[in-house]
Amino acid sequence: MAPELHTIPGHRAVETLVAKLRRRQVVGSREAALETALVLRQVVSKARFTNIQQLIAVIREVGRRLAEAQPKEHSVGNTVRRVLHNVRDEYNTAIKDSAASSRNVYSISKFVLQGQPRKHSANAAKSDARITLKENDPSDPDSFARALKPVLMEAIQDVLDELETVYDNVSKNAKDHIHSDEIILTIGHSKTVETFLKSAGHYRNYTVIVAETAPSYQGHEMARSLSAAGISTFLVPDSSIFAIMSRVNKVILGAHAILANGGLFGITGSLLAATAAREHSTPVVVCAGQFKLTPLWNLYHEYGALDFADPSNVLGFEDGKLVERVDVVNPYYDYVGPELVDVFITNDGDHPPSSVYRLIKETYDDDDHEL
Amino acid sequence: MVPAPILDVHPPNGPATGEPSSGQPKSQKAMTKAERRELQERQRAAKAAKAAANGVNGKAPPKPKDQATPSGGSAKQKPGRASESQAKTPVPAATRAAEKAKAGQVAAATDAMAKSQARGLLIFSHFGLPKPVSAAKGDIHPAIVRLALQFSTFKITGANARCIATLTAFKTVIQDYVTPPNHTLSRHLMTHLSPQISHLVAARPMSITMGNAIRQLKLDISGTDFDLPEQDAKDALCHKIDTYIRERIIIADQVIQETAGNKIKDGDVILTYARSSVVEKVLLEAHASGRIFSAIVVDSRPMLEGKRLAAVLSEAGIQCTYLLLPALGSVMSEVNTVLVGAHSIHTNGAVYSRAGTALVAMMAKRHSVPVVVCCETYKFSETIQLDSFTKNELAPLGDLFSSFPNTKPRESLTLENKPNLEILNPLYDLTPPTCITAVVTEVGVIPPNSISSIPVALGRLL
Repeated sequence: MAPELHTIPGHRAVETLVAKLRRRQVVGSREAALETALVLRQVVSKARFTNIQQLIAVIREVGRRLAEAQPKEHSVGNTVRRVLHNVRDEYNTAIKDSAASSRNVYSISKFVLQGQPRKHSANAAKSDARITLKENDPSDPDSFARALKPVLMEAIQDVLDELETVYDNVSKNAKDHIHSDEIILTIGHSKTVETFLKSAGHYRNYTVIVAETAPSYQGHEMARSLSAAGISTFLVPDSSIFAIMSRVNKVILGAHAILANGGLFGITGSLLAATAAREHSTPVVVCAGQFKLTPLWNLYHEYGALDFADPSNVLGFEDGKLVERVDVVNPYYDYVGPELVDVFITNDGDHPPSSVYRLIKETYDDDDHEL
Repeated sequence: MVPAPILDVHPPNGPATGEPSSGQPKSQKAMTKAERRELQERQRAAKAAKAAANGVNGKAPPKPKDQATPSGGSAKQKPGRASESQAKTPVPAATRAAEKAKAGQVAAATDAMAKSQARGLLIFSHFGLPKPVSAAKGDIHPAIVRLALQFSTFKITGANARCIATLTAFKTVIQDYVTPPNHTLSRHLMTHLSPQISHLVAARPMSITMGNAIRQLKLDISGTDFDLPEQDAKDALCHKIDTYIRERIIIADQVIQETAGNKIKDGDVILTYARSSVVEKVLLEAHASGRIFSAIVVDSRPMLEGKRLAAVLSEAGIQCTYLLLPALGSVMSEVNTVLVGAHSIHTNGAVYSRAGTALVAMMAKRHSVPVVVCCETYKFSETIQLDSFTKNELAPLGDLFSSFPNTKPRESLTLENKPNLEILNPLYDLTPPTCITAVVTEVGVIPPNSISSIPVALGRLL
């Protein structure tokens, strides 16, 4: 039933991306999301389909391959789900009449029937061009695809635009979240957090304390970058997070993926910072793009995304005798529960962890949770 | 009527206005103004001289000259030079000191400007970085010099180790001490020891254990009998020092080993942080007595001491896991007991220990894992510290402990201060009493809110 990958036009681009993901040559969730969106755009532009189900099946097959290549990189699957959602949206908009008014009314019955609240009214604007769609037309099999493709490309372009402006949108209200002479604690090197802090640094004079984040020591990069931008920075080892927490006004973290219950996967050390903040009643702010929202739960274990990094960063071979006698654990991610986070600042606004489930319902379709 | 001094002091706003060529009241006013100014400058000179004496000796007098010449050309200098030629001793001293004070003010102004640019970085300025060990002032015993060097290069670390090393060095000092004539040993020995102690403190701030031990030593010294011949008195003191080490540290450790060892059952997973000498002994003793358990050693920069503990434990045959502090969340759910050591404990039950212990205790509390602190009673301190800032120590910058992995290229690491960037490596932190389950001492297992009763338990009313 599902189309074979090699029959899908544009499969070579997909294969390339699959290989890159498997070899971890794509670094960073935003990069992965961008590449996925580009590949999907290629696939959709070259696809031949006579009804919407065929197109959806093609996209899902591609998405499944990509997600399997790197299951720890959740942004790949999220982008696929996003594209599917937008495609379905456009299709529904195109085939309905211009009874746009009924669609914009928020009704409980619609909510119960479809399981989805009112869509954003941005989609209604596109329905101005009325497209006559003939599905499964035997005489002109490509008419359906031809008619629908322009709107689909627009939809995918939307996703790409959103990905490209993630940093700017997250930092839009940075100066409202940070005020003068505050002391902010952050860990790791998240580009979203970095842009957020630098944008606030244009308006406010404050101090940032960066924890080193052993064993990747990404904190060093972050500290150098922030101090070069003119923000007073301190670099401290992770051991002193509790010690300095009494002076810290806010903790700002980045996320690798935001889970459906409002928790998140972050770089190892995030749990320490968030727990210490909770002990001192310090607010914890997470800056992440919406493409990191994942319809996934961390049910089975307290570990992070089960991704372990090279143990020689913890105990190298220069301690040869020790290496053969002790076990070394080097997890890459931490799971931070929703009770430890106060707000998620995304490119789509600020949300508390308790409303993440609603965001996921609005952004993705229920059928796509399992690709 | 005070006779007016015969001098020609010009007011700083320009010469010649306050000249005695004007009428008597005006010149008197000018003179008295000058007198007042001179008094002010003399006071300022005295203050500056005191400050100069506290600073490096021998640099103060040439400094104003050096600084006066670059900043020369101002009207302040000319009257100063002019009146110097008058050869009145208080005046040149006053004006030279005035120059120094003004030059110091100019320097301070530029300093303040630079500081205001990095004003956010001043909030931790009270920590104070360790100063390099200067050349020994006065006669410091070579054993103390060696010890200070070992402290400042972190060759000897750990509260117990430092205390034992200090007391052993003091034994040598006492044995080599000779009471000068017309002095008693009990009075003069203390003044003899004071510069030695200051030298050690300059190398690295004193630990509570050292402080308590030295206080006990001073008590013993002042209690020596006048009539004892000198060698006997010295022997008695050394004997007292030995007793102190044996009773308060060595035997106390043995009692703690047994008591804490009883908390370890077969099949347990014990977590410990960094390297505590007491916990090391407890684990080795428990293993030697046949209990089967595994240990998780958590370690962190800046000192990365846990590696040595892992080496010792694994050599003894204990199954060890080694990980860095951020990975703590992933293993805490499997841990049965957390055993940590302490640098000192306070009256309210807070534990002052290696930086990172507070994080371990906090995570253990979140997972309902008991936190047991192994601590001898001589580490008890009567002060109460509310957070880790009141008293802390910063490790020197740079890779002193070679704590970065070799796999990381050195260029990607920030090892020294840059503009707008300051590196802080606090060595200690304070674990609040709420995160601690029990403290094992040689007088018993005590809950944290009863720590204030330790002096009573020791039979002493402190």
